[in-house]
Amino acid sequence: MIMGNKVDIKNILDLTANKLNSLEFDDFTITANRGNRSQLRFADSQITIAKNWASLELGVFAAKDSKTVAIEIQDLSENSIISALESLEKLAKSLPPNQNYFGISDGPFSYPAIEYLADTDFVEFHDQSIDQVQGAINAAEAEGAKRSAGVLAWEVKEEHLLSSKGASVSENSTSYEFSIRSFVDETSSGADVEVGRLFSKVDFERAGARAGEIAKMAIGGTNGDPGKFNILLEPRVAADVVAATPGAANPFMVDIGMSWLKDKIGETIGPELVSVYDDALLPNGLGSKSFDDEGHPTGRNVIVEKGILKGFIHNTSTAKKAGTTSTGNAGLVLPQNSNIFFEPGEHTFEELLELNKGKPTLYITNNWYTRFTSYADGIFSSIPRDGMFIIENGEITKPVRELRISDTMGNVFKNVIALGKEIKQIKSWEVNVPTFIPHVLIEDINISAATK
Amino acid sequence: MPSSSYDLAEKAIEEGEKLGAQYIEARYVNSLMNTSILKNGVPELGAIARSNGIGIRVLKDGGVGFASFNEMTKDEMSIAVAFATKMAEATGKRRSKKIVFSDEKIHEVKYEALGESGKRPFEVDPETKINRLMGIDKLLAELKTNAIIPFRFFQMLDETEKKYIITNEGTKIESEIDRLQLFGIIVAVNPTTGSKEQIMIQKGKTGGLESLDYWKIEDFVTKEVTKLSKIVTESKDAPTGVIDYVVGPNVIGIMCHENTGHPTEGDRILGREGAQAGESYLKEDMIGQQIGSEHVTIIDDPTLEGSYGYYLYDDEGVKAGPRYLHNKGIFEEMLHNRESAAWMGTNSTAAARAIGFNREPIPRMANTYLAPGTFEYEELFEDIKLGVFMNNFTEWNIDDRRYQSKYVGLEAYLIENGEIKHMVRRPVIETTTPKLWGSVDAVAKEKYLEFDAATCGKGDPMQGAPVYHGGTFMRIRNVEVR
Repeated sequence: MIMGNKVDIKNILDLTANKLNSLEFDDFTITANRGNRSQLRFADSQITIAKNWASLELGVFAAKDSKTVAIEIQDLSENSIISALESLEKLAKSLPPNQNYFGISDGPFSYPAIEYLADTDFVEFHDQSIDQVQGAINAAEAEGAKRSAGVLAWEVKEEHLLSSKGASVSENSTSYEFSIRSFVDETSSGADVEVGRLFSKVDFERAGARAGEIAKMAIGGTNGDPGKFNILLEPRVAADVVAATPGAANPFMVDIGMSWLKDKIGETIGPELVSVYDDALLPNGLGSKSFDDEGHPTGRNVIVEKGILKGFIHNTSTAKKAGTTSTGNAGLVLPQNSNIFFEPGEHTFEELLELNKGKPTLYITNNWYTRFTSYADGIFSSIPRDGMFIIENGEITKPVRELRISDTMGNVFKNVIALGKEIKQIKSWEVNVPTFIPHVLIEDINISAATK
Repeated sequence: MPSSSYDLAEKAIEEGEKLGAQYIEARYVNSLMNTSILKNGVPELGAIARSNGIGIRVLKDGGVGFASFNEMTKDEMSIAVAFATKMAEATGKRRSKKIVFSDEKIHEVKYEALGESGKRPFEVDPETKINRLMGIDKLLAELKTNAIIPFRFFQMLDETEKKYIITNEGTKIESEIDRLQLFGIIVAVNPTTGSKEQIMIQKGKTGGLESLDYWKIEDFVTKEVTKLSKIVTESKDAPTGVIDYVVGPNVIGIMCHENTGHPTEGDRILGREGAQAGESYLKEDMIGQQIGSEHVTIIDDPTLEGSYGYYLYDDEGVKAGPRYLHNKGIFEEMLHNRESAAWMGTNSTAAARAIGFNREPIPRMANTYLAPGTFEYEELFEDIKLGVFMNNFTEWNIDDRRYQSKYVGLEAYLIENGEIKHMVRRPVIETTTPKLWGSVDAVAKEKYLEFDAATCGKGDPMQGAPVYHGGTFMRIRNVEVR
């Protein structure tokens, strides 16, 4: 399998397909992904480690007599692949049929063109990466930060897919993810992220400056009081707690009691001003891709339209069970979101501040550790971190600390009262699905606090 | 293990030294995993994962570089060593504070922790595994309770991991470990009110399929779901005000993990995880300070036989033993790898763990627990006028300095005048770490000691580490509940 310096991907795909056919599997998809990912981590304003991952992974999903099996292999010698596939066949024989399986997507396929998936100038990233990180740290310090920590990761990837139903497709992509958290003192901090695919769009200094600015604003924060508040969320907080609801529009999660959207299709779950899509075609989107794990073409699918839950994301099997068609969101086991996209609103940030006149309002710039008492009811809490502020009379007046959002996902989505007009792409330690979302203002949310 | 992979790891050390690496380690990991997924009784997927690769870490000029590869060729190895060395040098030169590693005793050993003969993960055929899982699910599908059980999800995962760690200092550690994990999420619904409760079950152990018998898994799952049904149909409002709590092993375990294990990680205290998992309310100069009451001794011990977080030598080759994170309430030890130890002028506590060949070794917990005390179980309740017995938990979270935490009870009961009464719903403990540990005034004896398994998340990219956490029973006085 080794051709010169590298394992030959075409040979691997052909070998795997031939073996699966000889083992008489009814359906299969084969993915082979080669990636080269690098990372710089920094803390105390200095780089702590530089990393590089060269990876080649083979993935197979296969079905025989409706018995569904999968394999992921990083050990790619010919013998290893053959023996792994023989084990897979043995595994398939031993399983009872999967009554939820209705096949994989059947061709012929025509794939959408997506703008800005790969940047040919990306090689410059390697050469400039250390300076880019240093630039962001300096920008944070210029705003008053004493130290910063964070991560810059960047990747060049090639993905290949072959299916028994005629899919044969490849795609190249590039991506970067940058996060920075800056501190003025022990408990006064701010954070920001900057993610995308195009080297020309990189502006880590802006993220650094914003992290430093929030950290400085957070100086002197005191413990907040619990109660009902309106909350104004930075996009990276909204990408976690507001986008969680369209993220729960997944039939697999509904089936296992981990979604609060069971039997809600057609119902009003939010205000008319909220429309959300799963959109795999967004230019520069980190979740953008022209094919899903079945080789089915991806697209733009409405999840929430003017506050009404319109549909779930699907693979072929979940779609057939629900009496609809695949949305091109097949993952290896369950349907997976591509990019979650919120239609922007009409307000500037200043207008969102103004909207809160007369109501106790918290401006939350970051959060983490969202956990559920009951997924099926959407009962959760999440902890704001970094700068958090009281808004009074349309102005950010004072920093507060040590509070917790303790409410339901249903309330959070239903109580949205305004959206900002600028959307930002978020992917972070807390937010796995790339999410395009503006600032979000929500009313009457329960905020709790620790007792002393 | 293929000797060619060993050779490649050994050659990497030679190449790194030629390139001027002050320290170089090569970690070869071969992992075989099998997974079965069952959704509401339907076998959704049988899956196999085979992973094989080498991670290289280099210290040079005060900087650290890491590179991994899984195309097992000499060229790929050379590229990885060159990258790790070059980037260590490039980043180290810019550092005003140079990274160093603590000096540690060098070991050359081989050890293993395997399942019973005939019960090892690869020895048990897939049919036996899926049938066992389907048997558990069938018990729940046929369970007679006052609640409806509409959602049942199970995942069973077994693994055999072979590892070979070699460094230019002479470390050679070869290990082979079997693990088994069972995860489940089950929801019960009150048919009258529609109200729901969920339970997440996670069992994990070093060993093979015999672990299922050790856990008496069918009895365990049936009992837990029977209790879940009672919670959703019978429980009443939890009391508020200033009350006492008695908490069980499951709650103690998560508290030890979140309120003490994480904030004692050396890298967090140094700010190295600042942008991800966060920092710590504990500081280096707080060693020796009283954090909790004299009843609070919290130990992390990787060497507990059969434990889910088991290892004898960490991923930097340092020999492991029990770490006394808090001893009689005093902050005593930290979880260190060689880097965080060197910053603080001390020695590693063998906490370096890397989850996979393609991850760097960072300070992690292994098996964290509250040391047993001297009380009988019944004695904990005797003088409580009004309180709550929280035996396990559902929702939890804690801020990134590990200072203010929240735990929501699942199986919980009212305590009134020293007696356990009816079930109460979703009682909450939302307080600070010093207040929590400072309010413990009694801990039950060793005969009640139990552990739960969990997957601890930390790092970027994420490293999910298998861990145990546990304890006996403890009493917490004067908790304010709003």
